[in-house]
Amino acid sequence: MEYVSPIDESVREPISFAARPVSVAGKRVALLDITKARGAEFLDQVERRLHERGAETFRLAKEIFSKPASTEVIEEIALRGDLTVEGLAD
Amino acid sequence: MAAVEHEFTLPRVDSGPVSLSTLLAPGPLVLVFVHADCPTSMLALRRLATVDDDASVVCIAEERPEAAARLARRAGFSHTVLAEPAPYAVSRSFGVETVPTAVQVGADGAVVGTVVGWDAAAYESLLGVAFDGEPRLKPGCVARGLYGERPGGLDELEDMLERGWSDGLPVVPPTPERVEAMLGGRDPARSLGLVPPAHGDATLERVASCAVLAGCRPSYFPVVVAAVEAALEPRFNAHGIAVTTQPAGPILVVNGPVRDQLGVNSGMGALGPGARANAAIGRALRLVLTLTGGARPGALDRATLGHPGKLSCCFAENEEASPWPSLHVERGFEAAASTVTLFAGDAPLSISDHRSRTPEELAATLAWAAAGQWSPFWWPMDDTSLFVVCPEHAALFADAGWSKERVRATMFEAVVRPASELRRGETTPLVHAADDATAVRKWTSPEKIVLVVAGGEAGRFSAVFGPCDGMKTEPVTKEIRWST
Repeated sequence: MEYVSPIDESVREPISFAARPVSVAGKRVALLDITKARGAEFLDQVERRLHERGAETFRLAKEIFSKPASTEVIEEIALRGDLTVEGLAD
Repeated sequence: MAAVEHEFTLPRVDSGPVSLSTLLAPGPLVLVFVHADCPTSMLALRRLATVDDDASVVCIAEERPEAAARLARRAGFSHTVLAEPAPYAVSRSFGVETVPTAVQVGADGAVVGTVVGWDAAAYESLLGVAFDGEPRLKPGCVARGLYGERPGGLDELEDMLERGWSDGLPVVPPTPERVEAMLGGRDPARSLGLVPPAHGDATLERVASCAVLAGCRPSYFPVVVAAVEAALEPRFNAHGIAVTTQPAGPILVVNGPVRDQLGVNSGMGALGPGARANAAIGRALRLVLTLTGGARPGALDRATLGHPGKLSCCFAENEEASPWPSLHVERGFEAAASTVTLFAGDAPLSISDHRSRTPEELAATLAWAAAGQWSPFWWPMDDTSLFVVCPEHAALFADAGWSKERVRATMFEAVVRPASELRRGETTPLVHAADDATAVRKWTSPEKIVLVVAGGEAGRFSAVFGPCDGMKTEPVTKEIRWST
C-alpha cells in the first residue's frame, strides 16, 4: 500500500558528532548563556576550570532561552571558537 | 543464461530493469533489503556505502523507484539499487520480515545465509571487511512486504503506528486518493514554511497528509492550513513551545461563519469530546507539529508531563451567546470573516461559580481562580491567560452592562497581594526585590487577560487555560481562506 508521507525525509538524516578534542589546552571555547536563571553562574565555574586547563574563552548570550540562537550568535561561535559549552537549564 | 532460483526482474534506479540471473553473472552477491522509513536501513546503507566491491552488494529498496533513489542518495550508497514497490513479491520470496535483511545468494540463486537487522560482526564475516563506528548492533524494522500478511499481525492501522505516523491513537491512512481529496486541487508542492524544531517543509501535501491522518473532512482543510500558518508566525514561537519542558500546546479558537459551515462546536461541551471538527482540526495541527515538524514526545518534545489537550484542543467561540465583540473582531477582523486564533497554553482549569450575583463578585472569582497559575507565588505573569466564559456568566456581565474591557480591568485589579505573602518557592525577580508592603498583581497588564465565550446555555462553569510563562509567545489570528 502506498501512502503520502507527512514527514520531510530530507531533515531526518542523522548528523554525526564532531570529533572530540583530546585536550582543551589552547582551544577557543565559546560559553553560550541561553539566559535561563543561574546559567551565567554555571558558566562562571566552567570558565574557571577551562582557564585552569589552558583554554581561552569568550562569552555570548541568546536573546531568550525559548528561541533558537540568532544567526549572528551562531556565526560568531563558528568564526571565533573551536568548541562551545552551553549553559542549558536552571 | 541458466535459470536461477528466486529469479526476478526489478528496475534499477539509474537504468532499466535487471534480472537476478544477470546480476549473478559475475558471481555470488549479497542482496540487502531496506526501506526508507527504517533508520536501521539507513544505518546499514551508510555503512555498506564504504564497501569497495560494488559488484557484490545490491540494495533492494521496498519503494517506488524515485523513493529508492532518494534513499540511496541520502545514504551516499552508490552501488546497485533496485526498487521494489508493492506488493513486494521479491521480498516475500526471500522470506524478508525485517529490514535491513542481507541475503547472501549463491551463483545458482540459492540462499547461502542471511543477516537480520544491523549486525556489524555478521556483515564483516559476510563481506570480509571491517566496519568502524557505533552501533555495532541495531534491530531492524518491519518489512513492508509483511504488512497485512501475517494473521493477527500488522494491518494498515498498525502499519501507521509502526511508522510513527500517529499521536498514539489510530489514524486514517493517508492514501494518495484521500490526500488528493483533502487537497481539493490545491498545489501539493506549495510550502507554508519550515516547521520547527526539525524544520520540515510544510508543503500542502504533507499538511493534507496530516489532516487525513487526523480524521479531517476535506472541508476542514482550509482551517488546518490557517492554523499551520498561524503556528509558523515567529511571534507564536512554535520552536519554544515544541521543545519546552512546560506542558504547553496550541489552543485553537475558531470564529466566524465557518463554525456553522463545518460544525465546530462552540456550545455544550465545547472543550470536550464529541465534535469531529473540533477533535480532528486540533489533532491535524498537532500532527503537523509532531510529524512534519519533528516534535515527537520524548525526543525533541521535552515536556515533563504534557497535558491531554496536546492531542487536540480546538473549539469555536459562542458568538451568539456573547454580549461582547467576538475574539476575531477584537483582533481586527470583520465579523463576517472566518478566522482561527492560536494560543499557547496548558490544561484548562474549571471555575465553578453559581453564587455570584454581581459582576464585581464574578470577575473576582474568575480572576482569583487563575491566581495559582504557573506557580502559586509567581506574580506577576507576563503571559496570556485565556478565559473561556460560559454563557450564564457572560449574561450576568451583560445584564450589568459591563463591557469586555471593564470585566478585564476589574479582574486585573482584583488579584493583588503584598510581596511579603509571595516570598515562598518560585518567586519573580520583582517580588524578590520589592518591599514587603508592595502590592503585586497576578498579571503585568489587563491585556494579558483574554476573554472568549463558549459553552452550553445551562451551568455556571467557566475555565481558564494556563499560560506559557517566559516563552514570549503571542496569540496569532489568521483568516481562513477557502481558496487556499
